[in-house]
Amino acid sequence: MKSMKFLLAGVAATVFTMGAAQAADLTIGSATEPSAIDPQFSRTGNNQNIAQSVFDRLVQTDAAINMEPALAVSWANTDPLTWQVKLRNGVKFHDGNPLTAEDVIFSLTRAKDIPNSPAPFSGNVAAIDSMKVIDNLTIEFKTKKPTPDFMEQIGFVYIVEKKVAEGAKIEDFNSGKAAIGTGAYKFKSWTPGDNLQLARNDAFWGKKQDFDNVTIKFISNDASRVAALRSGAVDLIDAVPPGDVKTIQGISGLKVFSTASSRLIYLALDSARDKSPFVTDKDGKPLEKNPLKDVKVRTALSELINRQLIIDRILDGSAEAAGQLVPNGVAGNDPSIKAVAFNADDAKKLLAEAGYKDGFGITIHTSNDRFPGDAEVAQALGQMFARGGLKVNGVVAQPYNVYTKGASAGEFSAFIFSLGNSTPTSATGLRNLLMSVNKDAGAGSFNRTKYSNPAFDQAMQTATAEFDAKKRIELLQKATNMVFADVPVIPLYWQKVHWAGKANLTYVANMTEDTTPVLAGTAK
Amino acid sequence: MTVFVIRRFMQSIAVLAVTAVIVFIGIYAIGDPAEMLIAPDASPAERAQVIASLGLDKPLWEQFFTFVWNALHGDLGRSFVFNRPSISLIFERLPATLELTLVGLFIALVIGIPLGLLSGLKPNSATDEVIMTGSIFGFSLPSFWQGMMLIMIFSVWLGWLPSTGRGQMGEFLGIHSSLFTLDGLTHLILPAINLSLFKLSLVIRLTRTGVRETMPLDFVKFARAKGLSERRIVFVHVFKNILIPLITVIGLELGSMLAFAVVTETIFAWPGIGKLLIDSIMRLDRPVVVAYLLVIVSLFIFINFVVDVLYSLVDPRVRLGEAS
Repeated sequence: MKSMKFLLAGVAATVFTMGAAQAADLTIGSATEPSAIDPQFSRTGNNQNIAQSVFDRLVQTDAAINMEPALAVSWANTDPLTWQVKLRNGVKFHDGNPLTAEDVIFSLTRAKDIPNSPAPFSGNVAAIDSMKVIDNLTIEFKTKKPTPDFMEQIGFVYIVEKKVAEGAKIEDFNSGKAAIGTGAYKFKSWTPGDNLQLARNDAFWGKKQDFDNVTIKFISNDASRVAALRSGAVDLIDAVPPGDVKTIQGISGLKVFSTASSRLIYLALDSARDKSPFVTDKDGKPLEKNPLKDVKVRTALSELINRQLIIDRILDGSAEAAGQLVPNGVAGNDPSIKAVAFNADDAKKLLAEAGYKDGFGITIHTSNDRFPGDAEVAQALGQMFARGGLKVNGVVAQPYNVYTKGASAGEFSAFIFSLGNSTPTSATGLRNLLMSVNKDAGAGSFNRTKYSNPAFDQAMQTATAEFDAKKRIELLQKATNMVFADVPVIPLYWQKVHWAGKANLTYVANMTEDTTPVLAGTAK
Repeated sequence: MTVFVIRRFMQSIAVLAVTAVIVFIGIYAIGDPAEMLIAPDASPAERAQVIASLGLDKPLWEQFFTFVWNALHGDLGRSFVFNRPSISLIFERLPATLELTLVGLFIALVIGIPLGLLSGLKPNSATDEVIMTGSIFGFSLPSFWQGMMLIMIFSVWLGWLPSTGRGQMGEFLGIHSSLFTLDGLTHLILPAINLSLFKLSLVIRLTRTGVRETMPLDFVKFARAKGLSERRIVFVHVFKNILIPLITVIGLELGSMLAFAVVTETIFAWPGIGKLLIDSIMRLDRPVVVAYLLVIVSLFIFINFVVDVLYSLVDPRVRLGEAS
């Protein structure tokens, strides 16, 4: 017994001294891992997490996705086709060289041709016609056509150092040789599948960071990540499963950081085609006419959904009921559009008016490994529709990698999908999800149901061509209002996202779902 | 022996070719990599650019023949996700898995064989009952649950051992391994135990059965009559005879541990190839999946070859190459 006590004391002492020695270090347990260190290789979230820590962009977003200056301090358009961008003075790369206009021009040119990049920044620089150095810190851009959101496009491309990145291969970035940025942390090493190490950049132009060294461990399994936090192996974790939030809050010494994200979970309806593969009559025979084409039917389906019930019972409260694309706080949100309330009586009335008094048959498709509760939410929707008099022929859940192909190929009638909005306004999301598919105009790339609403397309074109920022937002709100009255998709909810860490830490829970040491600090 | 080796080699080539076809067509049938890789806010022009750069716009047969042509030149393709040669991704992670598997196997053998001998020599005794009952747990509790329990007990409650990742690496005789540092070893213990528990039970049971079968045989009686010590009888004569089934099963299990340590590697965030495979399947990183399975098939072929050679060493009655 005595020896046991000794042992415990010894363990406690070790833990304590370890804690003291690492006071200025941070270990993060992250669910996702980058695929490369080259910040321009992919703009998917997992790569952005690391890119943001080591590199900077001309502008950045705060926790609520508002745009703020970063490497650029000011910008103005002298005429609709010309922009002048002033760079921040005194910014140094990690190797000591100063940031110049040449580096920015090089980076924006490079973004177009990263070999084999699966998610390049080429769209961000597509509007550029020409670039000219005015002086060391000023650049003049000419655009191909008037582009009011020009800074929102080029502003989010990571800036690399010309001297280092010119001719550098992806391996040079991964090894650290070319991973020279201006960001808050310097890149030390990356062991794929295991961890990534960063060290503080003392010459950083922005806020001085609290941690000398940062280790990011990649722990993809949810339970293991939570266990790693509880055992003290890591100080901070991301993507806390909603079901574990309460447990962690109950543990002394741990803290949860939450925010509603701008990731919308929605039910897409096959509303554009005359016949839909998974819509049947009550006996299971295919229907001649597609009921989903009727806005009354779509509204009825939306009214049959009790969003709050789904949020409370399935998602442990980790969501906010949605009635449009982006949540309150993101520019383009129209506060007057509320989430559609559960109203079975009205839904039945609408179905009867549309000529489906006895309902019809429908199958709901969903992924089962994409976001928390995706399969369960689909089952709940099935039950809610059945309660409203529809005949639910089935709820089909598939792994995401199989599911996406079917969803994009138009094989489903009603299917659940998500869309994360990471741009400062709702314009990009609206354009990709709801505008008519038009390859040349670059619209509707995420519009899987081929929904088309010419009046809305027109409204969006007017809005995105508006140079006055305030007016542009108003026009976006108007377009949003117009399109959601037509129920192009059924918005369900915005996910809440959670981080958890030791009580002596702070973390800025952010809507873009970024996990980066830059947002962490020690509690004062 | 030479004939045996040559015939084996020819068979292996055929197996590899068939695997390549099956795997390539199989993975081709699942989903669309472009959907997984391309950012959701990509413009149609970007999509087209990415699809073309990955060669996904070409028909299946053309993709397959490009793959075969490159494979014959020693290039198994570049990962869609990492844009690096898939083979180097695999070999970069193989050591971590090898280390974990060998330590797991070592634990299974070093604990399993003595326990199996103990049970087999004293069947139906209290010791035997305890060992047999214990091994049922190893068999029947899911590996995933065992792993979570190990983490809960030894990391979260007791705080003795780390639960995630690979520890610090050391160098010894030019080999880099976490076996050579204390930090590395402590990181290795839990995952290795997790991986070994099932095999441990298997080894116990195989050994026990072997002993029970061999002990009543005539040669054991003869050895006893000759006056050999019990120790010599068990550890030399009986042991050699029970090794044959053990080697067969261990050989196969080693292969499957290497290839499919996925569960353990996922729970303990171990940077091995099992995790690479599962991630690659989820992200439809076709070149990595195909290259991985080809490497694994080669591995199995090699292990089976070694097992056959070992048979002939352990049991002189087995002669290689005379099957025809």
